[in-house]
Amino acid sequence: MISNLLRRPAAASVLSLLGVLAFYVIIGGVDLGKLMNAASWLNYAARIGIVALPVGLLMISGEIDISIGAMIPAGAMTTAIISGHYELPMIFGILGALGVGMIVGTINGVLAVRTNVPTLIITLATLVGMQGVVLAGSKLLTGSASVPLTAPGWAKSIFGQLMFGGSHQVVIVWWIIFAVAFWFVLHQSRYGNWIFAMGGDKESARNAGIPVNRMTVLLFVLTATSASFVGMCHAILFNSAQVSGGMNDIFNIIASVVVGGVLLAGGFGSVPGIFVGALTFAIVNKGIDFTAIDRNWSNLIIGVMLLAAVAMNESFRNVALSVATGKRIKPKQDAPARATGGQEAH
Amino acid sequence: MKLTKAVAAAAVLAIGATAVGAEGANIFVIGGKPDDPFWSRVKKGAEDAGVVAESQGGSVTWLGPQNYDNLGPDAAELIRQAIDQGADAIVGPNWVPEAMDPAFEAVVAAGIPLVIYNAGGIEAADRLGAMNYVGAVDYKSGYAGGEYLAEAGHTNGACVNTLPGAANIEAFCNGFNDGMTENGGTGSVLQLPATAFGDSTAVAQAVRAHLLQNPDINAMFAIGDQDTNATISGVQQAGKTGSVHVCGMNFNDSILANIQQGTQACAIDQQGYQQGFFAVSILNNHVTYGATIPTREILTGPGVVDAGNVDLVIAGVEAGAR
Repeated sequence: MISNLLRRPAAASVLSLLGVLAFYVIIGGVDLGKLMNAASWLNYAARIGIVALPVGLLMISGEIDISIGAMIPAGAMTTAIISGHYELPMIFGILGALGVGMIVGTINGVLAVRTNVPTLIITLATLVGMQGVVLAGSKLLTGSASVPLTAPGWAKSIFGQLMFGGSHQVVIVWWIIFAVAFWFVLHQSRYGNWIFAMGGDKESARNAGIPVNRMTVLLFVLTATSASFVGMCHAILFNSAQVSGGMNDIFNIIASVVVGGVLLAGGFGSVPGIFVGALTFAIVNKGIDFTAIDRNWSNLIIGVMLLAAVAMNESFRNVALSVATGKRIKPKQDAPARATGGQEAH
Repeated sequence: MKLTKAVAAAAVLAIGATAVGAEGANIFVIGGKPDDPFWSRVKKGAEDAGVVAESQGGSVTWLGPQNYDNLGPDAAELIRQAIDQGADAIVGPNWVPEAMDPAFEAVVAAGIPLVIYNAGGIEAADRLGAMNYVGAVDYKSGYAGGEYLAEAGHTNGACVNTLPGAANIEAFCNGFNDGMTENGGTGSVLQLPATAFGDSTAVAQAVRAHLLQNPDINAMFAIGDQDTNATISGVQQAGKTGSVHVCGMNFNDSILANIQQGTQACAIDQQGYQQGFFAVSILNNHVTYGATIPTREILTGPGVVDAGNVDLVIAGVEAGAR
């Protein structure tokens, strides 16, 4: 029973989350009540978490997308240019941002299935390319690298309001909705099995009749579009958008996926894990502000805690898997433990 | 074992500090990255003023973004975080008004005393209902650089903007261009993506390429001390040392050495230490004793550092005064 619980991919990431919290409370002197009431880490978790979900699925399928870094500002700038600078109705700005995400995602996906270039390089190219398109496009169309936007009330309340009159952004709700949707896709539908199979071995997946190419393109569309969605929400919330590189977002999102227990090599992971991973990463990142530790040390502490969280995650999973398989009496465990852990429904 | 003891001791100290901090004024200061040389000076000023706050049982907490990629929204988040953390007073720069104004308004609405510093000017303080503005006027700082270079006969200037969208940086460049044109020269802007800020190699390469493409440029203006060093490196790589003259915002040891050696024409000083120090002092005295500073707009710059006064400034740096 317990081993069953521990073998769930999300269990390890929950434990590393608790470890991070314990560190901050015991060593950093963090007031847990204040931390829980504050919105900063939850807002940040939602920002990276919405993108981390599809990126996690993509990584489980054995690919990676780093163009997401450019797609967050691209979504924000598209919204602000269409509905702010040209003053077109808000709905065009929203559709425009999502459309840009779909186009770039399709380009990534088609290149990934049609060429032999690794997706790290393909999406590096679209990352840098989009940074150029966004800066040049913004200067060309608006003459400025920063565009103000006044969103109408309905758009604010759906995408960019602060809830409960406090500091919690409405994207937190979107994050939860996305998480439930992705949980259903990965763990309750046949598409989830396809994704795990693709991460295991593409050729056998293809031979088993899985539409590998179509799924790959679809996953790339999802990553890019979710990134431009986050950018769009930000532009509406903060009444403006500015050109930026988004380099940090890339590492933060991929790191939170890995903290969430997804293997960089693919084939293993879970949506609850990715969800908790984004939470953990956000608390590591923002929790430092709640400690009495001098800010000059913050990056060192963030680095050490990330490493510790992933290491805990890894070693815990190994222990859990070996305990679980060791306890089994029936000789049914010939299948690799990794696949067993990953493909179970959660 | 020793490590465990040290960790435990650190924990006790940290918890102790928090407990004491509950009595006096807990002041939250929103600023730049702690590893940004200019902002580390502001941070030192804020913390030096914080010594007084701490002696009264208060504290000074520095909140800065980890990078400048998403400056306005990140800073707005930090302002709201300071409210959530129970700040008694808040100091913040108004870098991106569209993104940050609602957060500052929330500070004032919560009845928390607010001082705007470094960016935004007294206009921002008035608009937002802040007590005061402490800082240089960005436009005048840029203007001083343009004026200095144009009067020295270097009349074709370019401003290197590595933080597009930040209001104060746009003002530096506008001021620089006006300082140039109103003194008989011409000005332009070399716009780089925000990722270039603080990335010396990227800035140097961009400057080199820009100078080779535009051989008429003989004056450049950079918006921060790291960018100034990178710009000078770009000028050297383009083989234009001596024919392209560089002024920049802020200074550090290497910039002062460059001014002494003549590789940099001038530095425009906004005295970051003063900004952190006075913003925190004003708020601490206000929260603790109800004292006010009736003078509105506490100016900390611009001041021009050039070959004529650089030795005095270096003496000031050694004495810890600049």
